[in-house]
Amino acid sequence: MRITTTRFGCIDVEASDLIRFPSGMPGLEDCREWALLADASNDALGWLQSTTRGDIALAVVSPRRFVPEYQVRIPRSELSPLALADMRQAQVVVVVGQTGTGLTLNLKAPIVINLEARTGRQVVASGDLPLQYELSHERPSLKKSA
Amino acid sequence: MLVLSRQRDESIMIGDNIVVTIVDIRGDKVRLGINAPSEIPVHRQEVYEAIQRENLRASRLEPGDTQDIGKFANRGASRPGGDKPR
Repeated sequence: MRITTTRFGCIDVEASDLIRFPSGMPGLEDCREWALLADASNDALGWLQSTTRGDIALAVVSPRRFVPEYQVRIPRSELSPLALADMRQAQVVVVVGQTGTGLTLNLKAPIVINLEARTGRQVVASGDLPLQYELSHERPSLKKSA
Repeated sequence: MLVLSRQRDESIMIGDNIVVTIVDIRGDKVRLGINAPSEIPVHRQEVYEAIQRENLRASRLEPGDTQDIGKFANRGASRPGGDKPR
């Protein structure tokens, strides 16, 4: 299908790029279908582009590429809507944000994707994890972040 | 807001498929049990609202904002989105 986006112009997406989010996401409840795209210049980055809202896209990364010690504990009740028996069949990405000081990662509410079923959901991970983990060269340990 | 009084072990039905039960009451803290279809997310309100705000903020990012993100990454791990550049 062909979609019109504000960041990437008109793009063709295959069915195999599409991911269905039956519950949308908090704040983006109406966005139920997304295309997972690779960033052209950055191999650590992907973009979740809404197929229904051309202006809505989320930058996402594999969290352990940036926070090697990140371990997600996701309650079973959060995994069952995705028909995931366990986390091994899942791909986990986190959303990139931005504050006045720089880029951040949302480690508290990762996005879990069932690659085979092409479904996804933003879940709330257990534990004291930051919504805005600051990316910096000092690499703060997870426990010290707010 | 509908305000109902319930005692421990009593329940409230919301619609025809959501049940909220008072599991325990201790001092000023109430433990609630929620039975709902799995496609309906259930969260503490302040957590949900914080995630909403963060998602809306994040949805405004442009590729220009993230172009330097690679310098924070380790080498060699997989990337999301496969190998098709846009």
